[in-house]
Amino acid sequence: MSEISGPRTIPGDWHDGTIPANVAIDDTAYIESTFSFVEFRSEMVPGVTMGRGASAYFGTMFDVGSQGRVTLGEYALVHGARIICDSTIEIHDYALISWNVLLMDNYRVPRDPDARRHLLERVPVLSDRRLDGNTEPAPIVIGRNAWVGFDVCVLPGVSVGEGSIVGARSVVIEDVPPFTVVAGNPARVIRTLQHQTSDRHD
Amino acid sequence: MTDESAVSTARLPHNVRAGPGTVITGGAPFHRLNSLRDPAVVIGANCTMDRVHFALGPEGVVEIGDYCCFTSAILLCEQNIRIGNYVVIGWNTTIADTDFHPLEPAQRIADAIASSPLGTNRPRPHIEKLPVIIEDDVWIGPNTAILKGVVIGAGAFIEPGSLVAHDVPPRTRVIGNPARVVGTV
Repeated sequence: MSEISGPRTIPGDWHDGTIPANVAIDDTAYIESTFSFVEFRSEMVPGVTMGRGASAYFGTMFDVGSQGRVTLGEYALVHGARIICDSTIEIHDYALISWNVLLMDNYRVPRDPDARRHLLERVPVLSDRRLDGNTEPAPIVIGRNAWVGFDVCVLPGVSVGEGSIVGARSVVIEDVPPFTVVAGNPARVIRTLQHQTSDRHD
Repeated sequence: MTDESAVSTARLPHNVRAGPGTVITGGAPFHRLNSLRDPAVVIGANCTMDRVHFALGPEGVVEIGDYCCFTSAILLCEQNIRIGNYVVIGWNTTIADTDFHPLEPAQRIADAIASSPLGTNRPRPHIEKLPVIIEDDVWIGPNTAILKGVVIGAGAFIEPGSLVAHDVPPRTRVIGNPARVVGTV
């Protein structure tokens, strides 16, 4: 892991930004653009961790609140997810996150309409106009070698088990067991994978 | 309501009204505002319209109340989309009050020709449109779609990723494709 240092830029970046100081990226990890951090507000050290060979491609947004921590394990690949994180979102080794995926650990609004109304009345006086009701987050885990298809939503508190597959456009509202295929909105179990191992076949 | 009171990164088109305290951001929110109505878009006071796309056909009218927060929403309007006060719409949500094209196959061929570069001055066939009404205090999560003719009752909570094809009763929580009631709020 490289030393956490001052502002870093990405060579050839189309966005004129920097990688925040509290983002810990392995020397072999890849981030396509600093645009991924325009909504990054984490005060945690580190707020984002990217392991060996991990990558975050175009469209990946780290919308991380002050207390949020996101970790990408070794060889984890995020190909454009919106990561809304106020607690922890762990993407384990070899996990694959497809495009336009939403991982959110917090609704950021109360479910009660009256409470929401009070929150909305405060928004116009905020300089950044950010809607954040300090609601309770619930961590998300995307297990080792899991595969999350495109346009999927993973809701607060959900864990996707090791080696599992979430079909495209699914909305995952409850935990996915290991080595299981789920699909649908809301997602349900389609089948169990036969080879229940993530060991490499070289 | 005056245009001058609205802070915006985009110059408001002549047929857009925005109330005091309303902020409209984004590169081209009115790039596809083709409505001939005046006003075509009426936004109330103290709203935050962050990277919203207002795509309106010639007859489209969008009305939005006060204290609404929309993020990267896409409003596709050929007739009328009416949104109350204190409504939140999450990232990447689409609201459409039209089918866009006829359902009947022969009519769709006529529509394809009329819509093509060769279709100049040829009228398009009839396309179903129905107003979308979203009442006060509704929360619409990210990655959601709201289809034509839908009425979402006051205080309803639309979970992320839902596809709303039917009316939603007030103060209910819905999820799924198609969205179904799973609880109350």
